[in-house]
This record gives sequence, structure tokens and C-alpha cells, in this order.
Amino acid sequence: MTTLDPKPAKAEGRKDPWSQLLDKVGKHQDREAYHALFEHFGPQIKYYAMANGLASHAEELVQEVFVSIWRRSCLYDWRKAAASTWIFTIARNQRIDMLRKMQRSSAEMLVETEDLWQIPGDNEDEPVTSLHRLMSERRIRESLSHLPEEQTTVIAKVYMENKSHQMVADELDIPLGTVKSRVRLALNKLKVILQDQNV
Amino acid sequence: MTRHHPDSLTLMEYSAGNLSEPHALCIRLHLDKCPHCRSRVDTLDSLGAVMMEEQPKVSVSESMFDNILARIASEPVNEPVKPAPPRVSALQKLLGEDLNGLPWKRQLGDVSVLDISEKFPGQKEQVVLQKLAAGGKAPAHTHRGNETTIVLQGAFADQNGVFNQWDFVVLNEQDEHKPVAVGCEDCITLSVLSAPVKLTGAFTRLLNPFIR
Repeated sequence: MTTLDPKPAKAEGRKDPWSQLLDKVGKHQDREAYHALFEHFGPQIKYYAMANGLASHAEELVQEVFVSIWRRSCLYDWRKAAASTWIFTIARNQRIDMLRKMQRSSAEMLVETEDLWQIPGDNEDEPVTSLHRLMSERRIRESLSHLPEEQTTVIAKVYMENKSHQMVADELDIPLGTVKSRVRLALNKLKVILQDQNV
Repeated sequence: MTRHHPDSLTLMEYSAGNLSEPHALCIRLHLDKCPHCRSRVDTLDSLGAVMMEEQPKVSVSESMFDNILARIASEPVNEPVKPAPPRVSALQKLLGEDLNGLPWKRQLGDVSVLDISEKFPGQKEQVVLQKLAAGGKAPAHTHRGNETTIVLQGAFADQNGVFNQWDFVVLNEQDEHKPVAVGCEDCITLSVLSAPVKLTGAFTRLLNPFIR
């Protein structure tokens, strides 16, 4: 985290277009902005649902995610997370929530999904880390295109198909250690692991 | 100050939403107190967002948007989902305010345990609270499978160092240790055991990280 190059941050030190739209939804209940977000993120979330085995509930998931976006938009703080990151975590949580509700009654759920999986920016005590997160988004988008396919394949299976490292190993018929080393290599290039230093 | 953190691979499984509920709880409790790991997870959440963006898109119908509008139209405008904090943490929801006052079961010597697996219906892991009395020692032991532990109160020490409140540690068969509770408080930990331990004899009933 100490190796951040301040130069690109300057160029990114403003809201990306999706974050601007989400901000408008939160502040003014702007339905045009909301619709633009739906057109952009709806198809991504529908694919996400289909990739992780919720195909018959894909449209339901998209709806739940967008209702949740509307309800929570007043809590959105662009300095704490880009809209795309924030929406990804809402989609992830709604998927988990849907699976939890299919598996048990609500009386059995002592903790809510968001007690376990946090939406960025929900915690008011959190420091504003816009510089860092803008850097990392930009870096991730750029670095991802340079990763070998075998590494992005593994990451896609973890994030989109929601497979554990073990399940990815079984599916690709490679040792678990190989999956882990591919993920480590990728995270290293994406500078996530860099932050493991001094731990 | 926490010094023992989850590794990046575990945080990635958390960010992707692939961990079981008890494992996610251990990570969340750590994140709430560790800005360093919080920042790592923020980065990983952004990785998730970028991955989602890079995938194929599946078209959605305009009628779906109309359905969504109909749903939100029936809701009061701009009412926050959650009132502002103070929020009750997952730990308080599960265990209440007073960890020391729980119905602990005394095991061997300085060790007490409490199995809370039933608070996670439908999860296959065993979830156990353990308490090592202040200044107390646990007998040397190893571990079965992977055991994820987070320190909820006090601190313990073994040959690998001191584990303070909100420190995170994963132990397996290779890790033999002899933990000692340090400081003036009882040390309380929450452990998630990937495979339920078979209760076969008087001594094997004792659990990790203090005893198995």
C-alpha cells in the first residue's frame, strides 16, 4: 500500500460515470439514472446468476438486486466504493440470500447475510479510502488483460461460478496446489498479495 | 492490534461469496477490526466487479424494469434500509453481550467449551467456542483437518507467537502446540472445524485450538 504511484490517482480522482449515476439515484431518486444502471448492470447480473447455477431464478435475482440497489442507494458513498464494486457486492449478497432462503426457514436465520458479508461503505467508522480503491480498480482492469488465460479462467470460476478452489481443481483435473499457485500468481500481479507483506 | 491475518486466497473465497456461514463469520469479525484486511477485501471486491464486467452479457427485458419500478413505487421514498449504526454485530446476535456468562462446559483443567453448531442450521461444519482460563495451560495437541479460529477475547500464546483479540489462525494436522492464555483475562476463541470431530474417547473429546 505504500507503493502507490500518485500520478494516475490524480486522473482518477473523480467519479466514474456509473458512480455518478448511482449517486443521483441515492440523492434524488433519479429514475433515468436508475434505468441506465439497469441497462448496464442488469445483463451482467443475469449472466452471473446463470453462471453460478441459478439459471431458473436469473431474472428473479436481477430484480432482487435492483430493488436492493434502490433501497440502499442513499447509503452509497462513491468515495468508499465504485458503483461497479458496490453493485457486485449487492449481487453477491442477494445470491447468497436467495440460496439461504431456499435452504431454510427465516426463523432459522439468526444472522442476516449482510451481517456476514459486508457491503463496502456500510460501516460509517470506515475511513474514506477513495485513492486506494480507485487505484486498485484501474490497476485490476489493466492487469487482468495481461494475465495468462489459465489464471483468469480460475478466477472467473471462483467469482462467477462460485466454485471453491477445490472444486475448480476437480473440474479442471489439476492438483489443488496448482489452482492455488495460479490464484497467487494472479493476485500478485493484481497487487492484492503485495499487501500481504509485513503481515 | 491484530497481527495474524487471513491469507489472500481465503479473503478471495470470502469476497466471491464462497465460504460457509461460520467461516464467513470468522472473516467478518476480523475485518470489522482490521482496516488492513478490509482494504484487501475492497480490492478483491473490485476484482469481482471487473470479472463480472468481462463476462458475456445476457439481455434483460424492459418489462423486467417495469416490474422493478412497480415494486419500488409501493415503497416510501428514500427511506434508508438500515438506520444508522450502532448496529448489532453478528457475534452479539448469535451469542449476546456476555461471552463469559455463556453456559460453558468445563473440560480438562483450564479449558471450557461450548458447541454452537446449531446456530448455523444447514451448515456441515462444527462451530465451537473455547475458553482457556487466564494464565491457564492447555495440554499439547494437534488438529484434525483444517480448523479456523478467531480470538474473541483475551489472548493466547504458543510457539508461533501471541494471538490477540481478533487475530485469525488456521491450524491443521501438522500443527502441534501447547497454548497458554496470556494476560489477565480468560481467552475465548471461536473455531470452525471443517469436518466434525468424532467423539470417541474421554481425551479426544477435547477440541482445538487449546486441546483436541
